[in-house]
Amino acid sequence: MATTTKIGLEIHCQLTGAKSKLFCRCSSDYRGKAPNANICPICAGLPGTLPLLNQKTVEFAAMITLALGCKFPDDIAFYRKNYFYPDLPKNFQLTQYNAYSITSIGVDGKLEYGNGKDARIRRVQLEEDPGRLVYASGSMDTSVYVLIDYNRAGMPLVEIVTEPDFADPKDVRMFLDKITSIIEHLGVCDTKLEGSVRCDANVSIDGGNKVEIKNISSFADVEKALRYEITRQRTMASREIQVRSETRHWDDARKVTKESRTKEEEQDYRYFPEPDIPMVLLGSEFVSFIRQSMPELPDTRKERFMSKYGLSAHIAQVLIGNKELADFFESTLMIYLSPKEIANWIVTDLMSFVDERQKKEEDKQYLLFAGLKVGPEHIADLARLVDQETINRATAKQILGQIVRTGEMPSALAKKMHASRIDDASVLAQAVQSVFQKEQAAVHDARRNANVANFLLGKVMKITKGTADPKIALEMIQKKLKED
Amino acid sequence: MPLPLYTLEAGQVVEGIKNREFSAEEYISQLLGRIEKVEPKVNAFVTLNKEEGLNRARMLDKKIRDGEQSGPLAGVALSIKDNICTKGMKTTCASKMLESYIPAYDATVIKRLMSAGAIIIGKANLDEFAMGSTTEFSRHGPTRNPWDISRVSGGSSGGSAASVAALECTASLGSDTGGSVRCPASFCSVVGLKPTYGLVSRFGLVSYANSLEQIGPVGRTVSDVVSILNVIAGSDENDHTTINSNKPTYSLQERKGLRAGLVMEFTEGADPGVSKMIYNAADTLEKQGCKCEEVSLPSVQYALASYYTIATAEASSNLARYDNIRYGFDMNPEGYEWNSYFAKARSNFGEEAKRRIIVGSYVLSSGYYGKYYLKAHQVRSLLKHEMETLFKRYDVLIGPTMPILPFKIGERIDDPLKMYLVDIDTVVANLTGMPAISVPAGFADGLPVGLQIMADQFAEQTMLDIAYLFEQAAKVQRSSEL
Amino acid sequence: MVVTREEVKHLGWLAKLEMSDAELQRYTAQIEEIISYLNMLDTIPLEQVKPIAMKKKFSELRKDAPENFEDAVLGTRYRKDGFVKGPRML
Repeated sequence: MATTTKIGLEIHCQLTGAKSKLFCRCSSDYRGKAPNANICPICAGLPGTLPLLNQKTVEFAAMITLALGCKFPDDIAFYRKNYFYPDLPKNFQLTQYNAYSITSIGVDGKLEYGNGKDARIRRVQLEEDPGRLVYASGSMDTSVYVLIDYNRAGMPLVEIVTEPDFADPKDVRMFLDKITSIIEHLGVCDTKLEGSVRCDANVSIDGGNKVEIKNISSFADVEKALRYEITRQRTMASREIQVRSETRHWDDARKVTKESRTKEEEQDYRYFPEPDIPMVLLGSEFVSFIRQSMPELPDTRKERFMSKYGLSAHIAQVLIGNKELADFFESTLMIYLSPKEIANWIVTDLMSFVDERQKKEEDKQYLLFAGLKVGPEHIADLARLVDQETINRATAKQILGQIVRTGEMPSALAKKMHASRIDDASVLAQAVQSVFQKEQAAVHDARRNANVANFLLGKVMKITKGTADPKIALEMIQKKLKED
Repeated sequence: MPLPLYTLEAGQVVEGIKNREFSAEEYISQLLGRIEKVEPKVNAFVTLNKEEGLNRARMLDKKIRDGEQSGPLAGVALSIKDNICTKGMKTTCASKMLESYIPAYDATVIKRLMSAGAIIIGKANLDEFAMGSTTEFSRHGPTRNPWDISRVSGGSSGGSAASVAALECTASLGSDTGGSVRCPASFCSVVGLKPTYGLVSRFGLVSYANSLEQIGPVGRTVSDVVSILNVIAGSDENDHTTINSNKPTYSLQERKGLRAGLVMEFTEGADPGVSKMIYNAADTLEKQGCKCEEVSLPSVQYALASYYTIATAEASSNLARYDNIRYGFDMNPEGYEWNSYFAKARSNFGEEAKRRIIVGSYVLSSGYYGKYYLKAHQVRSLLKHEMETLFKRYDVLIGPTMPILPFKIGERIDDPLKMYLVDIDTVVANLTGMPAISVPAGFADGLPVGLQIMADQFAEQTMLDIAYLFEQAAKVQRSSEL
Repeated sequence: MVVTREEVKHLGWLAKLEMSDAELQRYTAQIEEIISYLNMLDTIPLEQVKPIAMKKKFSELRKDAPENFEDAVLGTRYRKDGFVKGPRML
């Protein structure tokens, strides 16, 4: 049964790269602080306070706008979205709004995200995060009172809204990976922090009613939520039940979308421009400044890896897929310039040592290489040893396997291994010498019949109690046979 | 027998204390005595700052004795409208919703005044959240007009003007959204100034209508008002709507040869007793070398509708934060569902506040934005263009501050629209962001009449020049002995 | 009818203002009068006039330097382990 699916996304990205909140001087580093220890009169909504727009957040939002191919308006403004809720200190949210005129930082963009596919970006806007509600007894249903922590209130958010250009949850996943890669490369958000990126989705099938899905806690869950919802809608369609236009909540525990509690009355946000924040002029100088000063985008970096270092498209893609990999690669190059060799070591060998857990989206809390004791200097050293043929590839892999646990430099370990080989060699030479002395008759025969060398080898193995390397031992025997 | 200290002007207070003719402690004590005597009749104060006021006075006296530098307002006793945040001192906005609210910070204007050596003697009464024209919407009862205590003092800064007129303080700080400094100044025969929008920081002013309001000084003379303006004016990093420029200073100068336009729409709309005084005022100005001509400002007819649309819209949003969760009055949230708690807590707003919140929500609601809010803003542009055109030919525009004489308490309280109509002369300055001042013009039937002088944006000096010129010539009585 | 009692009640819900029946009655009449007055704005054909707006430069915005606010901010005594206690959600 072929159905056409239309999926649109609403992504919220916290600008954890900024040092202070969107409209006040409170630190943006609120995670882990005691409740209400990271607030001030402004973000707590005290009477008489005024919002003070953070310059860095405008800069960051502009970088995201450029990265997504959006256009800038001449100036930007903030609007009040008026509604009541216990996590909203002012009982309005400061956000941006385009219904009357374009005032949000970016509109009308497009992003290619892989496999030749692209999605249109409707808008990019700045807005503030509300506080956090905690339920004393663990759930909203049973708590007799709610506990409110305003530490997060006023955190800067960039909202990215796409057109419903996705036809498959797999595509959504690819797109979100691309978005993650971009915002990490721009340095505007640390996506490993809990709750720093969130995504709501809307989906409809066969031109039917659109359903919004909210409360998806991580990018990884988006695909799951979409699959569930699409199945739900298809099932309804097959039973000829019309899908209602509504907002559903993603229940993370039960992995289903649930109907939201019905509201008795209709909400009306009564948007109007925030009088305390004058319009901010952007202009062509501003756009140039952003273009010049923003960090390299992942796609640009990939192009550079391919053209400057001659890496294959595949390898380059893997490196930029995670900024940590790309950074590790370039740091290693700064010590020893052997791009293809180093790229290979990182992508193939080093990655195999990364805990499987680290690679999975859900547990992506720590740096990829957090559990390993190697840094760029180790890989550079290893690559040099291989390039100079001081060690062969098999030995190099062996060395890597050891140093990820010990942190020892490869050349130091290689020296040790080579020395022990020499030690082995002198012991072996003595053993061969000893056998030649004892088995003089066999030695005489071996000079005329090559196969007899095996008899001598057997004796060497016996003397060394089987520890000798037979290949090397045989080489020594044959060499010695030629000498006398 | 020398005049009591409480009759002194700000300049005289500063000089007197500096020259050790009297001590600051003496001065403040006399004021406190005066307050005790007349407050039962006037009701200008919500909170008195007796102990702290005397302490600061004593500290200032010590400073003088030690020969240390004292500021330009050292010893000046100010009443502060109770919607301006004073750290550690209750700030209630005359509302139950802020009954026990003690701000965690000082408004910028307060910081500047304290640095200049001023002493805050108390918080002045106002209409709840500054919404009103008579101070009758205060939960602490109305402030009465010192000239006739059966009449209103004007509003919303009634406490500010009355305390100055009743000699309970040297001067005062009020706020003006639609005339709230000028109206009570006019009704109480004192001087009240609304600066250009963006000249004075609003950080710490509890918002009612943030695109319209400014903090403004009230005093018995133009000189006092200038002294205070010089301290509080200037850009503030905590208020992004203040203009980024060098700190302005204003002086007193009598300039001749200026031109004033007498706005017909204002004089024609006023009571005969009032307009007569204004025409007299124009004559006085002419005699002082200031040419007066009648002019027209046609868009005045839309001004009130524009004002009440914008003010109520902004108020409905500015007052949303009062849900009693973070601050307010004591009401345990346990046992309530949140919608009910919010609604029950907010039922404690006064009538006028509730009305304005509803009207404001209405004009902003879905589908009405273009009809009311956008149109109201377009009226602002229209008025601004009309006035700027006039300011090419005239230095100032003048007229009555209020179209009527101070009326009896309770007279208009049951008719909101009738009450709104008294703002017709004052809202124009707020809508256009231009400065305006009210100076006493005289008495009609024994009741005060104020002359309003308006100037172009940031042309405060010109406006003050005419105000001073008129004041020196007219010599109208400023204080009521009660 | 310019404004109905139902509309006022709905606006009261939007604004979280609880009003008694008597208040609803009184306010509806007054608000109707006020809105009727405001309706005069509709008669002005002002599409060509652009609203005035104050503008700020990017360079004039607040620099991103964090500062800790040292004094107590919250004024309610209903707290628990640092959280603010609020009414239940359902």
